[in-house]
Amino acid sequence: MLADWPSLLFNALGWGMATFLVAAGLTLVFGILHVLNFSHGGFFMIGAYLAFTISAAVGSTSLIAFLGASLAAALVVGLLGLVVDRAVFRRLAQVDGAYVLVATYALLLVCNGAVKLIWGLNVQSAQPPAALFEVTVLGDLVMPHYAMFVIAAGIVVYLALEWLLNLTAAGKLIRAIAADPWMAQLLGVNVGLVYSATVALGFALAGLAGGFLVANQSLSPDLAGIFIIQAFGVVIIGGMGSIRGAFLASLLLGLVDSFGTALLPDMPGILFFVALAVLLLVRPQGLLGSGRLA
Amino acid sequence: MISRRALLAGGAGSALALSVNPRIVVGQTNEPIKIGVVTPLSGPQEFIGSFVKSGAEVAAEMINKAGGVKGRPLQLEFRDEKANPAAATTVARELLGLGYNLQLGTISSTVALAYGPLMQQENGINLTCGAGTEKLNHENYTSNVFRVGDGTYRMRAQARFMAEKYPEVTSWTGIIPDHEYGRTVWAVFVDGLLEFYPALTGKTPTIVPPVLVPYGSGDYRNFITQMMKSPAKGVVNATYGGDAATFFQQARPYGLFRDRILMDAANEFIVANALKDQVPKHWTGSHWYYANNKSQLSQDFYQAYVAKTGNRMPMGWAGEAQAAVSAYAAAIAKAGSTDTKAVIAALKGLTWDTVTGPRTIRAEDNQAIKNLEVIQIEPAPGTDIGFKVSDSVQIPGAPVIEPATPGQKMALRTAS
Repeated sequence: MLADWPSLLFNALGWGMATFLVAAGLTLVFGILHVLNFSHGGFFMIGAYLAFTISAAVGSTSLIAFLGASLAAALVVGLLGLVVDRAVFRRLAQVDGAYVLVATYALLLVCNGAVKLIWGLNVQSAQPPAALFEVTVLGDLVMPHYAMFVIAAGIVVYLALEWLLNLTAAGKLIRAIAADPWMAQLLGVNVGLVYSATVALGFALAGLAGGFLVANQSLSPDLAGIFIIQAFGVVIIGGMGSIRGAFLASLLLGLVDSFGTALLPDMPGILFFVALAVLLLVRPQGLLGSGRLA
Repeated sequence: MISRRALLAGGAGSALALSVNPRIVVGQTNEPIKIGVVTPLSGPQEFIGSFVKSGAEVAAEMINKAGGVKGRPLQLEFRDEKANPAAATTVARELLGLGYNLQLGTISSTVALAYGPLMQQENGINLTCGAGTEKLNHENYTSNVFRVGDGTYRMRAQARFMAEKYPEVTSWTGIIPDHEYGRTVWAVFVDGLLEFYPALTGKTPTIVPPVLVPYGSGDYRNFITQMMKSPAKGVVNATYGGDAATFFQQARPYGLFRDRILMDAANEFIVANALKDQVPKHWTGSHWYYANNKSQLSQDFYQAYVAKTGNRMPMGWAGEAQAAVSAYAAAIAKAGSTDTKAVIAALKGLTWDTVTGPRTIRAEDNQAIKNLEVIQIEPAPGTDIGFKVSDSVQIPGAPVIEPATPGQKMALRTAS
C-alpha cells in the first residue's frame, strides 16, 4: 500500500476538489439563507448538460471553448437560481425546515424531469478539451491532465470565494446579512437583493461544477445523485455554511476515501461513511462550524 | 308500451339464460386478453423499462395484426414499478385486483424475487424480462414466476466463448459493483472460466480477486489504479449504465484496456452510445442483437420497433419483452384459457418462437433455454455513431445452462 501513496494522494486530491466544486454553492446558499438545498445536485446536472450541449454546438475541443461552455452553463444556472429564489426560497423563509426539505426535493424532481424532457434517457458523455487529453507519468503515478485541471479548478474556486467573502465589501455585506439580517436591514442594507445575488452565485457555482466535471462523468438523469452525498458530507463535516470548512473537509474525506479503498478493498466506499459518523460524534458542529459564513 | 309484468318476466328470463353460461355475458369469443406490464417507467431503470414498454407494445400489435390469439386481441395495461419492490408489489396487486392475472416486464432482481410470494398468494403469473438473479429459479423458485429470457448462464456462455476465442488469456479479474447483481455476475463468470478453460484449452485459469466498486460512484480513479497493477489479461466488467460509461471514460487516459481483453456483462450499446469513438474495444452480452438474428420474425419486429420509436439501435430488453408477450400468446393458445393454473401448465416445457429463435422453458425451474448473444464493439472514428459492431456470435444455451435445482442454491465452482 505504501508504494501506492503518491497515486492515492493524487486521487484523493482529485476526489476532494471535484466534491468541493459541487459543495461550494451548496454551502454558500446554506450559509446565508440557511436553506439546505436538496435540488443542488439537479442544478449541477443541468449545468453539466448545458456545458455538453454548448460544447457540441461550438464544435471546438479547445480549452477556451471548454472554459467558455462551463462559464456559460454557470451563467444560465445562476439565472435559474434567481428564478428559484423568487419562486421557492423566498416563500420558505418563514416556514418550518421540513417544508424546505420537501420543496427542494420537489425541485430536484423537476430538474430530473426537465433533463429527461430536453436531453432524453440515453447515457451520453463529453470529452475533455484536447489540451487536457494527455497524461503525465512519474514512475507508477499516472496523472491525467484533466484530473490536474479539476484539482486546480477546485483550489481556484476556493481562493476566489475566500477573497470574495473576506476581502471585498460585497463579501462583508454577505457575511453581515448571514449573521444578522434584521440588523443589516435596520442599517439600510437591501437584504433581499443580497440574498438573491448570493443564491444566484451559489447556483452559478453548481453550474460551473457541472461544466468543469462534465468530461469526467457520464451524462444521464442519474447524474444529480453523483457527488451530492459526498457534497452534503463535506458541507456537514466542514461546518454548515463554512466555505473554508467545506474545503478542508473535501481534502480530509478525499484522503479517507482514497486510502480506504486501498486498506479495505472488499468494502469500497465504506470508510467515507465511517469517517462521517466518527467526525460528527467527535465534533457535531463540524470542523469549522461557527454558525457564521466564512 | 311494455307492461311492468312483461319487463320483470323478460328480465328474469334473460338472467336465467345468462346464468346457464356466464361466458356469454363477457363475450369470451372476442374478449381482449388482458396482460399487465409492470416495468420501470421512472427512476434509475427507466431507460431499460422504456425498451420493455415499447417492445411489449410492438409485440402485441404484431400478434393482434395477425389475428390475435385464437381471434382474441391482446390488451396491455402498463404500470410503473420504479425498480422498487414495494412500489412494484403495490401496482401488481392493483392489476391483479383488476383481473390482470397475467403480468410481465420485471427487470430488477429484487422486484422479481418479491413477486414470487405475491403471485403465488394472489394466483397470478409474472414473466421477467431480464432480472438476472439466479435465486429466481433456484433457492427462491416459485411456480408462478418464469424467466423467459437468459439467466445468469449468459455469463457462463460468455466465459465459454472467451475460452474458445482467447485460449491464451488464462488470467482473469473483474470490475465488480459491490451489490448482489455484481457479485453474482462475477461468481457465475468464474464458474464458467473454471469449467470451460480446462475443458477447451487444457489450461486452468488464474482468477485474480476482482476490484469491487461502490454503486453510483463518481470517481473511479482509485479503482483504476488498483486495476492497473493487476496481472490479469482478461477483465470482466459488471458496472452498468451511467456507472460503466463513467468508469470507461475515466479509465481511458490510463490505457487500462489497451492490452487486456474486456468482456462486459450486459451494457449492450449503452456505453458505446455514450462514448462513441472513445469506447474501448470490448465484448458485451446482449439479450437480442437485431442484426444477428435474420429470422423473418426478428426482422419484422425490428422494422416495427424502428417505425414506432425511431430508434434504429434497440437494446435487447425489447426482444425480451417480445419473448414474454409471445410466450403468453403461445401458452394461452395451447391451454385454450387465460386461467392461471392452465397458463402455468402450458408455459412449463413450452417451446415457442421469438426474435432470437425458438426458446424452451425448462419445466423444472421455469427458466427459458435460449441462444446467448455476444457482440464485439470497437471505435469507428468518422462514422455517424462513432463505433461499430465488429463481430457477433450466438451461443446455444443448452450446453451452458446450469442444472435445474429449484428450491436449492445453485452450486458454483470457486477459485482455490
